[in-house]
Amino acid sequence: MLEELLIFTRGGLILWSSCRALGGAALKGSPIDALIRSCLLEERSADASFSQDTYALKWTFNNDLGLVFVAVYQRMLHLLYVDDLLAAVRKEFSQIYDPKRTFYDDAFNEVFRQLHLEAEARSEEMKKNKQVTGSRPTKVTTKTNRGDTQGSGGGRKKGDSGKDDSDGDSGKEHTLPNGNSKMQENSLKDNSHARSVVVKGKENGDPNDGAFDVNKLQKMRNKGNKKNEVASNVAKNTSKANTKKNLKKNRVWDDTPDDKKKLDFTDPADERGDEVIDQVVVKQGESMMDKDDVVSSDSDEEEEDGEENSGASQKKKGWFSSMFKSIAGNNVLEKSDIQPALKALKDRLMTKNVAEEIAEKLCESVAASLEGKKLGSFTRISSTVQTAMEEALLRILTPRRSIDILRDVHAAKERGKPYVIVFVGVNGVGKSTNLAKVAYWLLQHNLSVSLAACDTFRSGAVEQLRTHARRLQIPIFEKGYEKDPAVVAKEAIQEATRNKSDVVLVDTAGRMQDNEPLMRALSKLINLNSPDLVLFVGEALVGNDAVDQLTKFNQKLADLSAVPTTRLIDGILLTKFDTIDDKVGAALSMVYISGAPVMFVGCGQSYTDLKKLNVKSIVKTLLK
Amino acid sequence: MDEWVRQAEVWVGQAERWIRQQPPEQVYVAVAVVAVTVLLLVAVSCLKSSKANTIVLSGLSGSGKTILFYQLRDGSTHQGTVTSMEQNNDTFVLHSELERRGKVKPVHVVDVPGHARLKPKLDEVLPQAAGIVYVVDAQDFLSTMHAAAEYLYDILTKATVVKKRVPVLIFCNKTDKVTAHSKEFIKKQLEKELNKLRESRNAISSADITDEVKLGNPGEAFNFSQCQNKVTVTEGAGLTGNVSAVEEFIREYVKA
Repeated sequence: MLEELLIFTRGGLILWSSCRALGGAALKGSPIDALIRSCLLEERSADASFSQDTYALKWTFNNDLGLVFVAVYQRMLHLLYVDDLLAAVRKEFSQIYDPKRTFYDDAFNEVFRQLHLEAEARSEEMKKNKQVTGSRPTKVTTKTNRGDTQGSGGGRKKGDSGKDDSDGDSGKEHTLPNGNSKMQENSLKDNSHARSVVVKGKENGDPNDGAFDVNKLQKMRNKGNKKNEVASNVAKNTSKANTKKNLKKNRVWDDTPDDKKKLDFTDPADERGDEVIDQVVVKQGESMMDKDDVVSSDSDEEEEDGEENSGASQKKKGWFSSMFKSIAGNNVLEKSDIQPALKALKDRLMTKNVAEEIAEKLCESVAASLEGKKLGSFTRISSTVQTAMEEALLRILTPRRSIDILRDVHAAKERGKPYVIVFVGVNGVGKSTNLAKVAYWLLQHNLSVSLAACDTFRSGAVEQLRTHARRLQIPIFEKGYEKDPAVVAKEAIQEATRNKSDVVLVDTAGRMQDNEPLMRALSKLINLNSPDLVLFVGEALVGNDAVDQLTKFNQKLADLSAVPTTRLIDGILLTKFDTIDDKVGAALSMVYISGAPVMFVGCGQSYTDLKKLNVKSIVKTLLK
Repeated sequence: MDEWVRQAEVWVGQAERWIRQQPPEQVYVAVAVVAVTVLLLVAVSCLKSSKANTIVLSGLSGSGKTILFYQLRDGSTHQGTVTSMEQNNDTFVLHSELERRGKVKPVHVVDVPGHARLKPKLDEVLPQAAGIVYVVDAQDFLSTMHAAAEYLYDILTKATVVKKRVPVLIFCNKTDKVTAHSKEFIKKQLEKELNKLRESRNAISSADITDEVKLGNPGEAFNFSQCQNKVTVTEGAGLTGNVSAVEEFIREYVKA
């Protein structure tokens, strides 16, 4: 059963509700607000459906009038007619809509009841047809024909009662064989959509990808092995020769301390001298987090130039037709009109290293928000699409939660607890390096910072962190290798509480998103210590893999946690931002996928090279 | 010089003669067209100059701005609201003043969506604001306090707001509910939060987000009287139509 059908303006005023008008139980919770907040405002409006608690929601827009139509039904039921009904309601309601009017109960109740009944009847027919075809798959063609005639009979009867619907019905009947299969497809889609998104992500061609990769890897390995054998043979030979020579030169049989020194090639200042040198805390000036961006104005100008150029080239293409259209104005945007402009935009986004999947989704969402809108006079379609996309990008990149870490730190300080930040990410993205940069930035704001070396996996990780700690003159908590990182983190936090540290930065081992045991360990670490901030460190170089990394990290954190309240990724630290020129797409991909804001941007090798993301300049660069 | 004057006189004479030759209707029409365009231009410029009668309804998502908007306009909440995706924007005579005799100047009210993703929209309307109503959810205050204070801080430190001394009304909504907090409590908590924010933001320095103007007097605990613009705190309930505080505020700053 349909629980609720709601019509409201984009401004948020409810115009008509089937519950209220026709009587019915009110919805539990507020699934519609949830839909708007976590789906429509996140540029996911091109998705087919949304599920919240036990409800599934479907929606459609009338962009010209600024209306939204939402249908709510129980997730367990796969209502086939909802799309159909929404389209019909949209058509009927748009005719009687008047911006000045806010009350439609009298006019629309009857219409809706009629539409609902019709849609239900139609879906019943579809079901019957489907059952017939489904039960005997060998005789599909004949059966569909028969079903066709039945359907037409039913349709006629209804057509008589429903007057102006006969046209639509007969049209449908002619295309019923097609329609049948389509409906089946739809229902299949519904089934898959009705499951939660998490499951969907898992299914998405995952095993195939894995298999492909493994095969490839094995092949590569085989090849590599052969090469390696050859290479290693050569190497052995040369090394043998070397050792022989060495042996001959340095053959001193008795163990004297002097020779030991000769063999020790390490820097003499390393062991003890290092400390002496680095006792002085490194001062490399102000962290770039606190500096103004001077670049943005330059990029503005550049951007304008670029836009003019592209505009000129587009003008040449269809100058006359676009002029004519723009003068005529008032033409309603069809999907086919927007498509070429969107295609160009999508390509542009993809050259900026935005993951393909995300560029696609964004374009669909923009198309959904533009379709049916009236084009103002003297505007080109491409510019309309461009501004719509710009707005969408701005909306996505604007952080949803506060990214003022210092304030949160102060709040934690008042509670007498250290503020715990856990750095997670795949291998080699620069977790430890940027952890040190964050530590440096926090130190500049007179906060006491301590580090926790929970990378007990990679050799040298603890030493790396110890070096940073020594240079920054901050305490580090370490327990060596082969310890459970979750326990190490817990002890580190206890230690920090005793020492009255304000912030604890927890370094974790890098892990691939598919590595189950390591992900489980990470999930344990996070659930055990419930940090204030889980920071995902990702490189800006990453392209399509950004989607995979973040979805899997989030998913694994959710799946593998033993606690009901799961912690997901709260923020993103984007590293190696200085290496990518204008290919800033990773920022967009990551934010879109996770919904978490970019909190820091690492842009260089020194401690000061940590910045905040300039959302406006990113949007401009993306659309350049 | 004399030559030029004579030349000009000749031209004027020619023009006069030419006009006299034309049929009189055409002349009248021409004059009418000129007059109408001038009037239109004047009217447009008048409208533009009167842009500062905009009242901006701001606040977090779910605090009740849209309800307040329709209470002011129609005196009714209609059938309820959902989260806004776009701003509501209308020029109207306040519902409570519809019966009043004489000329009542309509007010331009903008209801800005409160969802954090739509925050940039606020910057577009603030330059035209004659007054800002900041709506706070008094019932669910404690859980939204941090975010509410941060949003208010952003507004109070906007250069466009402070320089023009745009008055701000903090409207504690939903006080019809039993569990709602009092306006005194909310005021105190907000001041406390703003004070904290001021410290942490000052530490971050000017590069950060939107700190255009320093808030309050440094060295003292912050309270609203330190603001350059007038900040008042009132209470009411949008759902039951108890919005007289907002109406008074509007009338005070948008002269009838």
